[in-house]
Amino acid sequence: MAGGGESLSERIDAIKEEVSQAIADGARIIVLSDRDADAEEAPIPSLLLTSAVHHHLIREKTRTKVGLVVEAGDVREVHHVALLIGYGAAAVNPYLAMETAEDLVLQGVITGITPEKAVRNLIKSLGKGVLKVMSKMGISTIASYTGAQVFEAIGLSQELVDEYFVGTTSRLGGVTLDVIAKETIARHHIAYPPGGAIPGTKRLPIGGEYQWRREGEPHLFDPETVFTLQHSTRNKRYDVFKRYTNRVNDQSTRLMTLRGLFAFNEGVRPAISIDEVEPASEIIKRFSTGAMSYGSVSQEVHETLAIAMNRLGGKSNTGEGGEDPDRFLPMANGDSKRSSIKQVASGRFGVTSDYLVNSDDIQIKIAQGAKPGEGGQLPGNKVYPWIAKVRYSTPGVGLISPPPHHDIYSIEDLAQLIHDLKNANKNARVHVKLVAEVGVGTVAAGVSKAHADVVLISGHDGGTGASPLTSLKHAGAPWELGLAETQQTLLLNNLRDRIVVQTDGQLKTGRDVVIAALLGAEEFGFATAPLVVSGCVMMRVCHLDTCPVGVATQNPELRKRFSGKPEFVETFFEYIAEEVREILASLGFKTLLEAVGHVEYLDTKRAVDHWKASGLDLAPLLVRPDVVSALHNTSKQDHGLDAALDNKLIELAQPALTKKEIVKINLPVRNVNRTVGTMLGAEITRKHGGGGLADNTIDVTLHGSAGQSLGAFIPSGLTIRLFGDSNDYVGKGISGGRVIVRPDEKSTFKSDENVIAGNVIGYGATSGQIMIRGVVGERFCVRNSGATAIVEGIGDHGCEYMTGGTVVVLGRTGRNFAAGMSGGRAFVLDLDPANVNTDMADIVAVPEDQQEILQVLIAAFAQETQSEVATELLNNWKESIKRISLVMPRDYARVLDAMARATREGLPVDALVMEVAANG
Amino acid sequence: MADPKGFMTTPRETPTRRPVDVRIQDWREVYEPQSLEHLQKQAGRCMDCGIPFCHSGCPLGNLIPEWNDLMWRGDKSEAINRLHATNNFPEFTGRLCPAPCETACVVGINRDAVTIKQVELRTIEEAFDAGDVKPMPPDRITGKTVAVIGSGPAGLAAAQQLTRAGHTVAVYERAEKIGGLLRYGIPEFKMEKHILDRRLNQMEKEGTRFRSGVDVGAEITGADLRKKYDAIVLAVGATQWRDLPVPGRELKGIYQAMEFLPWGNKQALGEVEVPPINVAGKHVVILGGGDTGADCLGTSIRQGAASITQLEIMPRPTEERPSAQPWPTYPMIYRVSSAHEEKDNRMFSVSTEKFLGDADGNVRALQIVETKFENGKFEPVPGTAKEIPADFVFLAMGFTGPEQSPIISQLEVKLDERGNIARNANFETSEEGIFVAGDAGRGQSLIVWAIAEGRSAAAAVDTYLTGETQLPSPIEPTTRSLMV
Repeated sequence: MAGGGESLSERIDAIKEEVSQAIADGARIIVLSDRDADAEEAPIPSLLLTSAVHHHLIREKTRTKVGLVVEAGDVREVHHVALLIGYGAAAVNPYLAMETAEDLVLQGVITGITPEKAVRNLIKSLGKGVLKVMSKMGISTIASYTGAQVFEAIGLSQELVDEYFVGTTSRLGGVTLDVIAKETIARHHIAYPPGGAIPGTKRLPIGGEYQWRREGEPHLFDPETVFTLQHSTRNKRYDVFKRYTNRVNDQSTRLMTLRGLFAFNEGVRPAISIDEVEPASEIIKRFSTGAMSYGSVSQEVHETLAIAMNRLGGKSNTGEGGEDPDRFLPMANGDSKRSSIKQVASGRFGVTSDYLVNSDDIQIKIAQGAKPGEGGQLPGNKVYPWIAKVRYSTPGVGLISPPPHHDIYSIEDLAQLIHDLKNANKNARVHVKLVAEVGVGTVAAGVSKAHADVVLISGHDGGTGASPLTSLKHAGAPWELGLAETQQTLLLNNLRDRIVVQTDGQLKTGRDVVIAALLGAEEFGFATAPLVVSGCVMMRVCHLDTCPVGVATQNPELRKRFSGKPEFVETFFEYIAEEVREILASLGFKTLLEAVGHVEYLDTKRAVDHWKASGLDLAPLLVRPDVVSALHNTSKQDHGLDAALDNKLIELAQPALTKKEIVKINLPVRNVNRTVGTMLGAEITRKHGGGGLADNTIDVTLHGSAGQSLGAFIPSGLTIRLFGDSNDYVGKGISGGRVIVRPDEKSTFKSDENVIAGNVIGYGATSGQIMIRGVVGERFCVRNSGATAIVEGIGDHGCEYMTGGTVVVLGRTGRNFAAGMSGGRAFVLDLDPANVNTDMADIVAVPEDQQEILQVLIAAFAQETQSEVATELLNNWKESIKRISLVMPRDYARVLDAMARATREGLPVDALVMEVAANG
Repeated sequence: MADPKGFMTTPRETPTRRPVDVRIQDWREVYEPQSLEHLQKQAGRCMDCGIPFCHSGCPLGNLIPEWNDLMWRGDKSEAINRLHATNNFPEFTGRLCPAPCETACVVGINRDAVTIKQVELRTIEEAFDAGDVKPMPPDRITGKTVAVIGSGPAGLAAAQQLTRAGHTVAVYERAEKIGGLLRYGIPEFKMEKHILDRRLNQMEKEGTRFRSGVDVGAEITGADLRKKYDAIVLAVGATQWRDLPVPGRELKGIYQAMEFLPWGNKQALGEVEVPPINVAGKHVVILGGGDTGADCLGTSIRQGAASITQLEIMPRPTEERPSAQPWPTYPMIYRVSSAHEEKDNRMFSVSTEKFLGDADGNVRALQIVETKFENGKFEPVPGTAKEIPADFVFLAMGFTGPEQSPIISQLEVKLDERGNIARNANFETSEEGIFVAGDAGRGQSLIVWAIAEGRSAAAAVDTYLTGETQLPSPIEPTTRSLMV
């Protein structure tokens, strides 16, 4: 201990030697243990030791001869286990955490469980947590994860990395072994005070990583910042607001953010008078509020933010939970509750034609800063009737947002989705939201090539009190890193001028905004701060539905306590813009746009007199590639809409669009015609609203091979009949329209044995009809929430995450059918039960009261497609119905029962449903 | 955490006070016992906030969410451990603190705050009842010596911390008994003195030495202290009272509150039969509407005054928080103390113009006038002057700073511009090795601040003496409560 970094290094070297010797002596399993730590000898941090030995053995070429087992007291979180495995451990024994769990039971802190069971639970949850971390990184087996080093280090010196963590990215330099030794000794002194323990001080410190504590870790939002932010914006006190921003900005001594280490280089150009700087109202147009779904936050908050941003000319964001169409209409007093940015996330909740048409921006959420790579889950007891309505789901039934978009498995798929959404609303900009992490620049370049209008680089410290703690702390990187990398990569590839770069992630002050601009962002998102302005006090109980200030709750009683007003939010943004103006004036910029990308106005040499920060080198953030290019967006993306078949369709459909007359169109189609029908659909919605037109008003018959996304998002009134075959994504997001696909009249093959259309059909459908005579690919009707679909056979993962609607499969299904299915019904012919994932759904016989509905549906299918399978079934219906099984989600069935009971007994339906949901 | 929905299902309830006509017959504390189950339900109202503003409202940084949860679960012994981890004397603060934690409680934004103070009090009282409050003498002695001057809450907190850190500590007190304001300023009906003795007993067993009845500066000089001790902590309080230099001030029967209150306590404890200042059957006027005024009120009631009037220059505060004092600040609102519940005759927005005397030089009345706040000061409203009768007048108008006692000049410590003892970021005065804690450095403040000062100063002294410290330091000398 006495020798600091030097003796630490010596001891590690000695252990390396011991390990080498042991291997030479024939050892095949090496246990690295800190159990013998005592008053004299401090434990070496387990990760450092594990990685050191791991890389030592790789250098020695003996690594594959042994397995490393780590037995360490400092392992207590999922992240710790993940790191140890990622740096070579084959097994981890977190003995102190296990003993702690045991002790907590024995002390009575945890009740209703045996100590053994508590320990088992700990191990199980650490294991599951690691699995989840692995799945986020796209790694399936622990063998692949072991030693994979899928981590980025922030704040480790290159010297340290090269010696002990070979190959790890650490872009900013940082601490050496000396600092690690110093910290180890400091911790050791807590356990074994050098002068002996003082009575009354022996308790473990309380910590404060996840909750603020006076003597714990510093947090950007602490009692003082929350209070001054709320008070200043509620009472229009710019002086108090300055106290807030000063406290947030004064981080150089508290080392909480990278931007805290920057200073502005004043004097590069002469300062100007603030009167010469563009007005606050212009700056505010570049501001938006963060994506927070209606469902995660209350209606009151969601609408307050929307009204405020609409008044200001900024933008609010729906989040991924859909939006009530009533909000698309202006309010009586001239305000508007419409969110300008409509988010399209993996769950596709409420993504209808109407939703997309009523947007200024459409945001594709690839990942969320607070929990990159993870999906979400809204438990049944939070799916109140009004939430279910906008999400097109069933009250009381839980909703899962799948981790990935099922229609994006490559950058080409993303380009297709961007194209689909642009077709769904040609007036909207399409965003792609990415999370700042290593390599985000490359992805952003791809996004720019894929014709996104905007790319959003989201910082890791975006926050929701409902995020898993592992994600809250350890996933993603600060936006400063991601933004700098994005700007540099885009410039180097000559892609910067055609895309707008936006950033978010705990932006809190005018200083934050200007730093983001100088690093390359021209638009800025704020989430937590406006929420705090609206009344959030960072309770961090968002997942419990007990938010006492009515922000993150759906409980009607608690919602009444919401005290926010749009005016407060307006004041907040006005003050931020005012601060931005002050800084711009001091730097000599007349507009915020002028400052974008001018990294030379940032100084990293500011003396950082903290022993832990002395090794940091921020220079890589401030590289400006030597290219002749605009530093910000100057041109528009070419979306290629001019070439779309829909231009022709729209022209031909004019009588229907203007006079609601029935129009029949007959055209050939080729696979270069992508997203056919979507622009026409958007026109219907634009002219006639979300309800569209009467069924079949526009009846389009196509012959040939359709390209991707046939009939995506089409509304009521549009029917597309394809004779031939189609690519992927037929009827994606269909919202009321009809798509009928059948083989060409002249074809002779058996339709139920041949593939007629591709993957991911009916993904995120909300209503309407999809009839396909033939077999289709994987992931059929994933996240369907209301459409009816009939098909003669499907691939794997059918009906995954489905929450509503009806699916009929008159043929074979692939594996993993109905995984995560929480609503809707699936009727399957000759079902092989082994193919069904029964975690959430049961296989039952078709109940009598549904047999007729099913018969009518199959009859319609037979009529529209001349399906031979269907005709045969109908000819012998009594026998056929026995061959058909119903796959029914359990929770859904329970809620339907409750609804039926409520109707029968005259009880309030909603109340009963929520009661059933709450009691499981 | 405690019950996640407790704050939604359980309303705030505080223990009831004994009936007025019963309790004014004696000097004992006014509260009735509350069942433990009741209290636990109250503790269950705590929401375990992500940012516990209570914990910030409390200068001690009491771990309120933690011990609320522990009490709710019934783990009383761990609760007292957590409570004692930040607070040397919860039995004092649980009785005497105006609870800035509760005005900062997040439940209090739109509902009634958690009864934090009551949970605190119950936690420590249960611990004393269970014999869980034991002396914690240090494992080893450092050989360093410290003199603490003054035995109020700041001095006692500093002394206990330093004793436990292994230093040899002597506490000097000029009064007859140890306790400072706790013993002589706080009436028995707010805190019975055996509560204080119980804690002093623990401290003595830990090794703290008490030297009461010693007039430091006279009986022992600054130079003596310097010679005898390795460090000195000045915790002499801000006992210099504010006076009212208006005509007639010299009349007999006009006293400072702190001249009156100690006699009340002696009377309560039977140490005197009839105190030299006795208001039985007399008309009493109290100047000042703060806590000290209320203490004079309760004491006068128990002595049997014929009438009691309390005057306050400020306007009557509102019942609700004024908008300029938003959550989570400590607001000026209309409060009804136990004494006010017994007899409330408060006059607001009035000021005393002069005292009127009789032929014998005794005060007989006050001439008062209504005031209003104009141009930054209180101006008399013309034509509102009137007389109110008074046999006794008590001045309870606050304290301005430490007294100009000889010890200050003997030690040559500098004062700041407000007359408090100046200090650096380490609670050290202008003289090396001499530290200051509590009101003497901060100015008149609350008991929680005094204890926090004592604890922080102790950490600074320990560092000074040994080069490092494990003692906690909850505040800096410049820390102030959150205000607009």
